[in-house]
Amino acid sequence: MKLLLVEDNERVSRFVVKGLREAGHTIDHVENGRDGLFYAASETYDAIIMDRMLPGQIDGLGIIETLRQQGNRTPILVLSALSSVDERIKGLRAGGDDYLTKPFAFGELLARLDALVRRTQAEAEATHLAVGDLTMDLRSRKVTRGVRAVALQPREFQLLEYLMRHVGQVVTRTMLLENVWDYHFDPQTNIVDVHISNLRQKIESQGEKPLVKTVRGAGYMMTAE
Amino acid sequence: MLTKFTRSSALTLAIGYVALGVVALVLFAAPLWYAWQVTVEDGRIELIHEDVQRFVEVYERRGESGLADFIEQRVSMQIAGERILMMADIAMKPMAGNLPNWPNEVPKAPGLYTVTLDLAGHPTRVLLQRAVLPNGDTLLVGRDLSHLRPIENRFWVGLAVSTALLCGLGLFGGWLVRRTVLSEIDTISRSVTAIVHGDLSHRLPISPRGGEFDSLSNTINRMFDQIEQLVHGVRNVSNSIAHDLRTPLAELRSRLEEMVVTRPTGEELHDGLADAVEDVDRVIGIFNALLRLAEIDAGAQRSGFVEVNPAELASRAAEFYRPAAEQRGISLDFHDAAEGALLSGDPLLLSQAVFNLLDNAVKFTPANGHVRVEAVRVGDALELRVGDDGPGIPDDEKQRVVERFYRGDRSRGSTPGVGLGLTLVSAIARLHGGRLDLSDNHPGLLARMVFVPDGQAAL
Repeated sequence: MKLLLVEDNERVSRFVVKGLREAGHTIDHVENGRDGLFYAASETYDAIIMDRMLPGQIDGLGIIETLRQQGNRTPILVLSALSSVDERIKGLRAGGDDYLTKPFAFGELLARLDALVRRTQAEAEATHLAVGDLTMDLRSRKVTRGVRAVALQPREFQLLEYLMRHVGQVVTRTMLLENVWDYHFDPQTNIVDVHISNLRQKIESQGEKPLVKTVRGAGYMMTAE
Repeated sequence: MLTKFTRSSALTLAIGYVALGVVALVLFAAPLWYAWQVTVEDGRIELIHEDVQRFVEVYERRGESGLADFIEQRVSMQIAGERILMMADIAMKPMAGNLPNWPNEVPKAPGLYTVTLDLAGHPTRVLLQRAVLPNGDTLLVGRDLSHLRPIENRFWVGLAVSTALLCGLGLFGGWLVRRTVLSEIDTISRSVTAIVHGDLSHRLPISPRGGEFDSLSNTINRMFDQIEQLVHGVRNVSNSIAHDLRTPLAELRSRLEEMVVTRPTGEELHDGLADAVEDVDRVIGIFNALLRLAEIDAGAQRSGFVEVNPAELASRAAEFYRPAAEQRGISLDFHDAAEGALLSGDPLLLSQAVFNLLDNAVKFTPANGHVRVEAVRVGDALELRVGDDGPGIPDDEKQRVVERFYRGDRSRGSTPGVGLGLTLVSAIARLHGGRLDLSDNHPGLLARMVFVPDGQAAL
């Protein structure tokens, strides 16, 4: 992926740039709002990582608003130390696609970038999802593993749907909380793990190949391999 | 003492009252004085008129010489100077009377005059009437004004003395008031100074009389209760922050130090670093919770209030927690008795509050226990309840578990957590105009978030 990082903090930038390059992405880095707007408007990126508070006349939200007014639809992940719900809402209203508060884990950033880019690539309305021999019919809300029908609670269905829509990507516990339960805060518990383990028991019976992998220090990944 | 008195507001007050008293006295004395003057004057004029009348009658009955005799007779009976009586002929030559010669001070025309005459060497103010008899003789009848002087003098002296007394008494009263008031104020001021200097347990004495000063002292005492609680809270918080942050930091340190010594490689190095990151995340988690608490306490989130269905919210939270509870062998029920009541609030914060209560309940309830979540309407109020049949909280700790970083003896060391959960719940309840109420569930703990319309629930 070709990415743009607009961030004035040197340590954060070094950490993010190094990590993303190691993950195989191309990344441009600018340190102030003016350059940020210039690069974002003149080059084509797969996604932009935007800090909110920036030197150089225009701040992160200002850049996003300007870009959106120009019809630029590049997915933007807002980075900020401002963590309250109000601030998050401000960030998303300005036109950001996701909001991540500092300090953050690198795995979280990577997983969210992945999800953002794939979302724009595959927004098409699917009626069926399939991972390996696990299939999900979104209309009849039926799930089968091979020939076996899997009975799921409504919330388990939503959880599985999210995992299947992000097959091959890491999804973090926070992403699951936000997208499946709509809880935009960290409950400081391992409840998500319990839900995942219950789901695993239902879709991975004895002798069947595991589909949901635990990614240490990051979250989970659904994969057929 | 004297300078203190002159500077005190009690003196100003006393002077003000004295001045008022003097004005009142003058207002009282002035009409009296006027009435006295008028009465005496009128009486005198009346008497003089009567005298003149009688002399004229004597003249008419007995003639000029008869009148002269009559006058001489009167004069010989009288105390000299009390009455002026004189009869003179047309040439103003004295014919009878008690003056040696005609006084030139008296105006020529007949009439009533007040003049000063030289009577036996004493200048005396007299009131007299000059009248003319039918044969042209002149008659002078007068009264000495000086015999009333002592009464007038006594009046003035009396007025002066009572004014002086009033001043004296007023100042004395002012001094008394100042002494009692100031002694009360001094007591308050001394106690407050003691408290300011650090003795926070000190309180103002309150007498059983229940006067204004007692109610003032009472108010001040309540303020100090609040301050003491806050200071205690702050002290407790800094102690606890130090204690609770030191533990994960110490673990982190020993982990890193171990890696410095053992120089692990490959997977082992990765695992060690990942563990270190988890330790740091724990510390960050504590700070996030503190910041969130500060944010809620400042009421900043009120702007995001929307209409919330609390029963649905609690049901969702219960559903979210049920797998975790069941994993520990605890049953988790939800009961809706909210009758569809709605609440204006922040759904995320309310969810978080229910989470924290559920987290505690699940954490402290033993296997095979029961946790019950309820949304209940009680009159106008709405309650979100989480009850368990765990060990509960001793009564003397129920107040304190809500304080920042306070952890019951049973939970400290044995159960994970930092002691911010209930603090957050309480803050969230307060932000919504409600309160957190902890009571006995026989057995176990019943935590209720009570929301009253119009936010009138503050104890």
